[in-house]
Order: sequence, then C-alpha cells, then structure tokens
Amino acid sequence: MINVEGLTKKYGSTIAVDSLSFTVKPGRVTGFLGPNGSGKSTTMRCMIGLDRVHSGTALFDGKPYRELKKPLHEVGTLLDAGNAHSGRTARNHLRWLAMSNGMSSKRVDEVLELVGLMDVAKKRVGQFSLGMKQRLGLAAVMLGDPKVVILDEPANGLDPEGIRWIREMLKHLASQGRSVLVSSHLLSEMALMADDLIVIGKGRLITECTVSDFIDQYAKKWVVVKSPQLDSLVTLAQEQGMHVSLGQGVAEFHGVEAAMIGELAAKNNVVLHELSTQTGSLEDAFLEVTADAVQYHGHAETQSKGVAS
Amino acid sequence: MISLIRSEWLKLRTVRSNITMACFAVILPLAITLLTTAFIDVYSVDDATVSVVLLGSGSLSVLLFGIIGVLAITQEYSQGTIRLTLAANPRRIRAYVAKGIVLAILSGGLTAFIILVGNTTGEAILDSRGAVGKLSNGDMGQAYLALIALSVVVSLLGMAIGTLTRNPPSAVTILVLWPLLLESLIGGLLSVAISESIFKWMPFQTGLNSLRLEDSDMDFGRWGSVGYFGLWILALSLFALARFKRRDA
Repeated sequence: MINVEGLTKKYGSTIAVDSLSFTVKPGRVTGFLGPNGSGKSTTMRCMIGLDRVHSGTALFDGKPYRELKKPLHEVGTLLDAGNAHSGRTARNHLRWLAMSNGMSSKRVDEVLELVGLMDVAKKRVGQFSLGMKQRLGLAAVMLGDPKVVILDEPANGLDPEGIRWIREMLKHLASQGRSVLVSSHLLSEMALMADDLIVIGKGRLITECTVSDFIDQYAKKWVVVKSPQLDSLVTLAQEQGMHVSLGQGVAEFHGVEAAMIGELAAKNNVVLHELSTQTGSLEDAFLEVTADAVQYHGHAETQSKGVAS
Repeated sequence: MISLIRSEWLKLRTVRSNITMACFAVILPLAITLLTTAFIDVYSVDDATVSVVLLGSGSLSVLLFGIIGVLAITQEYSQGTIRLTLAANPRRIRAYVAKGIVLAILSGGLTAFIILVGNTTGEAILDSRGAVGKLSNGDMGQAYLALIALSVVVSLLGMAIGTLTRNPPSAVTILVLWPLLLESLIGGLLSVAISESIFKWMPFQTGLNSLRLEDSDMDFGRWGSVGYFGLWILALSLFALARFKRRDA
C-alpha cells in the first residue's frame, strides 16, 4: 500500500507537484496519468526520496522510503530504462544492485530468466535496444520480489509482444497482492491493464477513481441509429430539440438515452436497423479531463490551414 | 555496510575505463622505475636512487588514483545509475562512505603493490648490474607510507570534486590543474600580497612534500604535511557529502 499525503515539490518559484495526495491499493494496478510536464515522474522521484520534497509524505506500508533497510525487497522502481552503465554487462548491472541489498547472484539469474534476457546476460547494456533496456529495468524491479512496484512509462520502446507481456506481468503482480503504480502514455494499454486511475495536471490531483468510473464520468456518450427512414427520425428528433449529427447512413444522437430514441421511433412507426449506445474511450475521457492542464500544445497541419471544402 | 562495500567494489571493477586507469596507475611508475634502474649509470647510484625514482613516478599514480575517484562518482551521474544507487541505498551518507572506502582500499592497495614490486625489482636490477650503496636509508619506509596515504587522500579528493561537479571533464580538469597550476598561481599572487611563506600553506604542494626523503625539507614534517593536506580533503569531502545528501538525484 502506498499513501501519498500533501506532496509538494518546487523548483524555484515553479510548483512541480502541488499538495498531491493519493492511495495505491494492494492487489490492484493503478494507472498514473497526466499530460507531459504534469509532474508524474517528479512525483515518483519524490516518493522514493531521489528528489527532496518541500512538504508532504509518501509512505510504503506506513514507512517513508528512506527508513526502509533493504528497499529493493519492499519497493521495486523503474524510472528510466536508460539508467544503466552502457559499459557494464546486464548481469553485472543486476549483480551490483542485488549485492547492495544482500541478494545472491542466483536471484540475478532468476530475474534475467523471468524477463527473457538470459541469452544476452553477458552483453554490454550499451548494445541493448530500448526494449531490452526496459526488460532489464523490469528485472531490476523484480530482484527483491517487492510488495510495491512503481514504473514510469514501462512500455516505452517495447514491441507489441513486449507490451502485451508487460501488461500480463503487471496484472499478474497485482493478482499476487502487490501494489502496482504505473504511468503510461499508451492510454489504450492503460485501459486494458489498470484497475484504478490517478489523474494529475499541473502537479495537482484531478481525479482518483476506478477506470470504469472515470470513463462513465468523463467520456462522452451518444446513441447510434441506422434506419431506412433516417431522415424522418432525424426531423422528429430535431423538432424535440435533440442534437443530432449525420454520418453515412447513420445518425448520432447526443445527450439522450437510447430508450428515448427507441420510443420516438416506435411512436412514429419508424423502422430501426440499429440502436446502440456508444461510449468514448479512456483517451477521450483523459483528453476531456486534462484539457485545461495541458502545458505543451501541438497544432495539426489540417487545423492551422483549415479544412478544404 | 559490508554488502554495500562489495556492491561498490563490483561497480568499480566492472567498468573498463576504471580498469584501464588503474592499469596505467600501476604500470607507469613501475615502468619508469625499471627502465631507470636498468639504464642508469651505475656509478651515480646512491642509497636513495630507487626510492627517488619510485616516489617521483608514484606521484603521477597519485593523480591517476584521483581520476579514478572522479570517475567512480561522475560515471554514476553521466550514466544515470546514481538514481539506482540511491534507490537501493536511500541513506546517502552510507552510500558515499562505502564508495570512499572502496576507493581508499583500491588506491592504497595498488600503491603498496607498486612500492613492493618497484622497490624489490629496482634494487634487484641495480644489484645485478653491480651497483653499490643501493640499500635503503632510514627515511625510505616513511616516504613510501606517505605515498600510500597520499594515494588514498587524492582518490577521495577526486571523489569529492566529482560529487560537486557531477561532470567528468570538469572534475578531471580541476583535479589536474589544482596541483599543476592553481596552487602556483594563487601562491604566487598571495606571496606578493602577503608573504613569501604563503607557499607552505598550499595544501596539494604540502601533501606532495611528504614524499621527500629528508624530513628536514618539510615545513610541517612528513606526517604533518600529510595531515594538513588530509584536513583540506576532509573539509572538502564533508562539503561534498552535505551537497550529495541534499541534492536531487
């Protein structure tokens, strides 16, 4: 269990993390979401004492990180896969880490096997791809068989097979009762792997809830209708003040329940071929909820030039 | 603490640049000593020849051990492993001390090896060439011990400078320029402004003075010189440690 309470980190006059509080529960994968520069990585660094905090606490089963005697047995962290000496072999990289917390070389071989790097254990890390470095980072996380796992963008650089592997692994770790906190920009992946979400923007907590509650609360919903008498139905709906948009042979009704459309169609003898409720994705909900917290905006070419008619 | 020291030792010996630098530090004084004793005019040899050559060339090794000290910490910053080091050992003073102990053992041990091999082989070569009066004088053992102490102190100095700069090139530059240029420059300016005797307070120069064979050549005596230099390095190390403890990794 991780309890973060009132965590604040400042760089000069800039507040990177602003009184952030949240809980990561055991047995669940908790996604940590926020736009670029929202303070996710800073929060993670503050949690394990790498960065000094101005105020607030981060407790791991009731203890601050600095008080853990052999922290790798309690908390496994992967903040940046590049944090490995390029001239050292993968095995030696893990050996020094293991040794520092009183673990044997046997455990190093076990985690190398676990992440599928046993065949390249004697290769220098500098020769590794980003995906291989991520796997090495995960091996380091698993060295001490920790109760808490903290990962910052672990799927970066992984191929589809690797992404699936990490998803299954994190779910498996959570199923063993561990607390898993993971940040990722791959929202579709997050939707598949996370149980809970912590969403931050500009260093502040925006929301903390389950993934399904988040989508229910923030994602848009609309009703899709297919009908041979689509024009009549649209006219009837518009007469009742409904907002309708038309696609190819399809009408989308916003801000209404499917039942209302069904009843309207039945009352007016309109035949329906499809009547379904659509819900926006986690990505849609995320963009909706963090719209005000995005610091760095890009502009698509089509937006700046306008749509050609 | 033992597991931390073992971990730091593994870190140090599994990086090629550290091994290369340590090899240079050992081979350089040995090669100079062996070549000198092999080709020196045997009639110019006296009881201090091997010691003078070994101590002179050994002072180059002292600087190289300082560079190993620099690399031991700056590599951690340049390669990002400092975050793993501190995540694995959040008590930063212990992490710093463990690294310092490993550096001290490495530089002290290798310097002792250089002295043992260099002195034995150098004397054997001179002996085989029929040189007379090559045997040790009384101050030689003390000077050799001072060389070991200096290697340890300068490796810790390298680590302190590396901790403060976190950047290998600038830390190495400061370490090399300190004895070669900075002290002469500062000492020269201060001697004009204050007094000629200011040179004896220059720490690195005073430390190197402890390698002289004759005790009478030193303002503070051999161990006073080592101690004075050591106090400077202790103060710098404490400052570096305070920064290391407070700074974001």
